[in-house]
Amino acid sequence: MILKDYFKTNGPLMGWILLGLTFFWIVMLIVLPQLYMFELSFHPHLPPPEMGGPNDYLTLENYKYLVFGAEGNPDGYNKVDLAVFVRTLTAAAFVTVVDLLLCYPIAYYLGQSTGGGFVRLLVLLLIIPYWINEILRAFAFKIIFGDSGVLNEFLMFFAIIDGPIDFIRANVALYAGLGYAYILLMIFPIYNVVESLDRNQIEAARDMGAPWWMIHKRIVIPYAKPGISSGCTMVFMLSAGALAAPQILGGPSSLWFTQLVYQWFNTGGNWPQAAAYAIVLLIACLIIVLGVMKLFKVNMGDIGK
Amino acid sequence: MKSESLLIRLGLAFYLILFFTYLIGPLILMSITAFNSAAFPQVTPWEVLSFEWFPKLFNDARIISGLKYSVIVGFFTVILSVSMGLAGALLLTQVWPKMRATYYTIIIAPILVPGVVIGISTLVFWARINSMLGFAPDSFLANGIFLTVLGQSTFIASYCMLVFVARLQRYDTGLTEAALDLGASHMMAFKRIQLPFLMPAMASSAVLAFLASFENYNTTIFTHQKFATLTIVLSQKVRYGIDPSISALAFIIVCLTVFFALLNEVIKRRKQLAIANGAPIEAVSKGFKLPSFFSGSPVAIMFAIFVAGAVAVIVFAQVYDPEPAKQAFQETKRAKQKIAIEAMQQKARDKQREKQMKGPKIFESKDRKKPGENPGQETFGSVFKTDNLEQAAGATGQSEEPVGTNPGKGAFGSIWQSGNLNKIAPKEKESGSN
Repeated sequence: MILKDYFKTNGPLMGWILLGLTFFWIVMLIVLPQLYMFELSFHPHLPPPEMGGPNDYLTLENYKYLVFGAEGNPDGYNKVDLAVFVRTLTAAAFVTVVDLLLCYPIAYYLGQSTGGGFVRLLVLLLIIPYWINEILRAFAFKIIFGDSGVLNEFLMFFAIIDGPIDFIRANVALYAGLGYAYILLMIFPIYNVVESLDRNQIEAARDMGAPWWMIHKRIVIPYAKPGISSGCTMVFMLSAGALAAPQILGGPSSLWFTQLVYQWFNTGGNWPQAAAYAIVLLIACLIIVLGVMKLFKVNMGDIGK
Repeated sequence: MKSESLLIRLGLAFYLILFFTYLIGPLILMSITAFNSAAFPQVTPWEVLSFEWFPKLFNDARIISGLKYSVIVGFFTVILSVSMGLAGALLLTQVWPKMRATYYTIIIAPILVPGVVIGISTLVFWARINSMLGFAPDSFLANGIFLTVLGQSTFIASYCMLVFVARLQRYDTGLTEAALDLGASHMMAFKRIQLPFLMPAMASSAVLAFLASFENYNTTIFTHQKFATLTIVLSQKVRYGIDPSISALAFIIVCLTVFFALLNEVIKRRKQLAIANGAPIEAVSKGFKLPSFFSGSPVAIMFAIFVAGAVAVIVFAQVYDPEPAKQAFQETKRAKQKIAIEAMQQKARDKQREKQMKGPKIFESKDRKKPGENPGQETFGSVFKTDNLEQAAGATGQSEEPVGTNPGKGAFGSIWQSGNLNKIAPKEKESGSN
């Protein structure tokens, strides 16, 4: 028996403590809440006393609402929410790509350098913004991109523009803030992988006359693929699921999908509807991430290394 | 060949500068706004150097209570997530090999699940448990702190687990077996052998867990109920009306982060140096040797400069009194405004006489919302614009000759009084910043 061996190696007390803690974590915190939320999303919105009563039945209403809108909707489709959904995912993908382009060179540089005092300083500078509160990072971007923000004042001072540009409405502030927030999560996975790449391989390629882009294409990128996909997955999931940055930096007319979830939950008080939206977001993100990972042939086990 | 490498170097330097400007610039700007006396966090226009936002921050009851709840939540989250993460990591090597990949996927998944989803699922699940057990709606299962700790621990335990797994990979299980053979109980073997080995991982995962808990927003916003943690309080402040006391808080956090990051780096560096020189670690980590402290490492020097700078600023803040400078600034500002306002009054009167318009109508709100339709927009519209009262005033003041003597008060006289302006300005600012 497996359990008998288990208690033999761990002893009864330790064995039960370990099992109990892991059980609590997996079952009570991870699996059951998600399953219950999934189940809840198929129920109509009812006041608590009526839950489980005769009016409670399983329905696809909440999902239908996301696609078709309220009944009698002249458009036929819930254009507002669907547009927000699509825009959130494309914007998250955009932020991910920008972060990758921005971070790959520095991750490569840091990973391949021999690590003097200067490089240690750079790593330190990378880590510092990561420990600053998410809200405060968004706040910093609000100061920069606001109507009378630093950027506008700067551009107007040098007479590059005449009047202030509304960066908030144009979502520039939001994308800059989101990209900023997750830079570190892109750099470190790539850095970790590149660091373990044998420099002789690059030397050899260079000796045989490969130009620099060929070295990256044939040697570095294939080798760093687990790190790249790990970073991209993290950045994509986190920006698609971000709530604070869109709330602070988002324009008045452009919502993020998580904001819709938040509205249903807090303002509307409609938990099943919010659950349905959250499930849609979760599943859409998982499909995209797993699809991309399959496309680039990367395993789930590489994430988080 | 040589010119090419020079080009690459230049490009690299340029890229590094740009990259780190993007990374550090926002934090520096935000910190600077904490020292501007302007009521809105801004670098430009710069008013007067002032430390007034720091006392204001420390007297803000909501910030203080938010800090309190953050610490309470963080404390329990650290305990729960470190122990769950450790248990999860210890079991990873013992799980039936075929199940291992699935098990790993499940315990790593919370990192990837959006925080919003974790928050909602935690809240609805425990509300359901609460009602199933027949407890009152305000029992401890529905308590904000309880829910926040559970929600945060769900994914923070995964971070801790990763830290432990990395450390456990280097653990020799033969050590535990030897202890057991020598007659130690399992508990004793764990406590004496494995736990000391895991101690560094314990410490770093605890720090990680606390910081992650402290800055979490997405999950906490759904689970906190009435116990608003510091992050929640901050988000509310940033969204609905800001003043630079938030910048002051940001500045403090930035300083603390820099301090601990540098300190950590210095300690690490000293240990490495000691090992490289063949000295036992104890010899260096005990007894403070100043020369070796500074040897070679730019980080150590930066650390010293940073500490010295912090002390200097604090001392200066005690001595410095911004009031005279501030008054002077206010006076120049008022004088400028007065000139500008008089100029505008005169212009308005001229225009009114020309166009035979009815004065007061111009100030009706609907006209202000659509300044394009307003014939007097050039004159009046800009005055009411959200934040550039001073700019507009300054610009007009410069472009037009100030009218010296004002013969009595015209139709607009009372409207243009500075008291009215002050009343209008904050309202406009709020609607503009949303």
